[in-house]
Amino acid sequence: MQPTSLMKEEFLKKWQMGLQIYRPLIDNTSVSERRKAIKLSADVAMASLRRGTTCWSRALIQKTATENNFLVRQMLSGIKAETLINKKLPKVMCHRKIVRRSKKNFMRRKSRSVSEEVAAKARKLIKRKTQGLRNVVPGGEFMNNDVLLIQETLDYIVSLQTQVNVMRSIVDAAEAGIERTACYLEKLKFTIED
Amino acid sequence: MDLSGGFGARSDGGGATREATGLESLHLGDEFRQLPSDNNAGGGFTPLLELPSTQPVRLLYFTDSSSSSPQAAAVTGISPPQVHSYGTLTFPSNSVLMERAARFSVIATEHQQHGNLSGETATSSVPSNNSSVKTETNSSQVVEKQSNRSGKRKDSDKKARSSTNKKKNKSSEENEKLPYVHVRARRGQATDSHSLAERERREKINARMKLLQELVPSCDKIQGTALVLDEIINHVQSLQRQVEMLSMRLAAVNPRIDFNLDTRLASPNGSLMDGSFNGTAMQVTWPHQVTETEQSYHHHRQLQQPPPQQWPFDGLNQRVWGREENQDHGSDHNSLMVDFTNLHPNQVKAEL
Repeated sequence: MQPTSLMKEEFLKKWQMGLQIYRPLIDNTSVSERRKAIKLSADVAMASLRRGTTCWSRALIQKTATENNFLVRQMLSGIKAETLINKKLPKVMCHRKIVRRSKKNFMRRKSRSVSEEVAAKARKLIKRKTQGLRNVVPGGEFMNNDVLLIQETLDYIVSLQTQVNVMRSIVDAAEAGIERTACYLEKLKFTIED
Repeated sequence: MDLSGGFGARSDGGGATREATGLESLHLGDEFRQLPSDNNAGGGFTPLLELPSTQPVRLLYFTDSSSSSPQAAAVTGISPPQVHSYGTLTFPSNSVLMERAARFSVIATEHQQHGNLSGETATSSVPSNNSSVKTETNSSQVVEKQSNRSGKRKDSDKKARSSTNKKKNKSSEENEKLPYVHVRARRGQATDSHSLAERERREKINARMKLLQELVPSCDKIQGTALVLDEIINHVQSLQRQVEMLSMRLAAVNPRIDFNLDTRLASPNGSLMDGSFNGTAMQVTWPHQVTETEQSYHHHRQLQQPPPQQWPFDGLNQRVWGREENQDHGSDHNSLMVDFTNLHPNQVKAEL
């Protein structure tokens, strides 16, 4: 599923909303502050596209809401904002070392065969990879379910793609504009000097 | 994840009856086309959330060994009032949903009021729809996988499948009201509930992995889950890094991010008109300068970054607003601002 133009438009609108909230700050601040503002508003815009239906969007909004509560509240439309911000995500605390140790003890008692070992190693590898995926996808720690994880990943990838496309087009336009004005300025200089 | 519980929890909401187009569903299931949808505001992976009405669907599971009701009931863990005395596998679906399914490469056929197979706690305002859609996609993927796999099977299964196909249309209406799901166990496979549940889960995961593989271009040819997962992780990380880079570039480019695209994108006709008007104005102001200085320009090119305060990025403003803003600059700057305003809507429109 590739990003549609409708999604891109919506994302752009929401992103603009966020940037306009930040507008008074933008004029006088450094590049890094601006970058943070841009990225934050882009992220919240991307997450709000999904309206709280997906786990990653909720997790992303909550993560930004901890620091930038004001922005998030403004950007999300009324009712949603309260429920999304205040609701706590389920905490799945799982001490991996303890679990691993207990599993190791358990596996010691089992009888081994070559094929079993191979299969076990493959499973371990896949578990490691899914753990890596959980680290990357926002809110991944709360998805114990593999099916859910992959579903969320799919959605997240599509949303990221729209975000990247829209941002890239804006940035290209802006940079081309700057380029053209710079060229024009040069030409102007030459005509004046002549 | 307790799949057997999930099976039992599926219930019939008493929705509209539908006619099975079983063969059709099988054919559509083979296609993994990706088509955007303009109907759905949400778009993306959850277009089925926009389903106006939920449709009942049943996946019929039963064992090959016997189609007697008590054993099947034991398999599913519940004793249904209505019994599947027929040994058929039906794929009830709606024509509207079939369209959508064709568009989004899943067969959306499930409605349920409660019980969420994925175990996700629905917290949004449309919980039942979400869960129903998720399980719809789950079950439809399962159905797909089953149908695909059965196609590759030996003769006995093929015969069974063809017979089930024939009986689909007949028994579709009879199966409408069944409150549970049945799984067909393949020949030579374990048939206890746990392995059935595990097989379901595995099929779901494989179906989704396939979708992921098609979405991410780099892992088309890769065999094996671990490598595919690697590629997916890399892809996600690269996308996130791209977002960072783009935001950095945008922050460096312009001190004032003032664009106002509401009317531009909402009314394409309006924006095009605006863009063309600006274009003509721009051409009037500086064609002579451009042609004369072209040669010298190429020789003496020194590119400087324009001072940020002089060229505020009003690029995507309304034309009128841009002009008002720039009255304190010179006339030259005015034409430049016109250039700005002209440039971006066209570019952005083209790229979007």
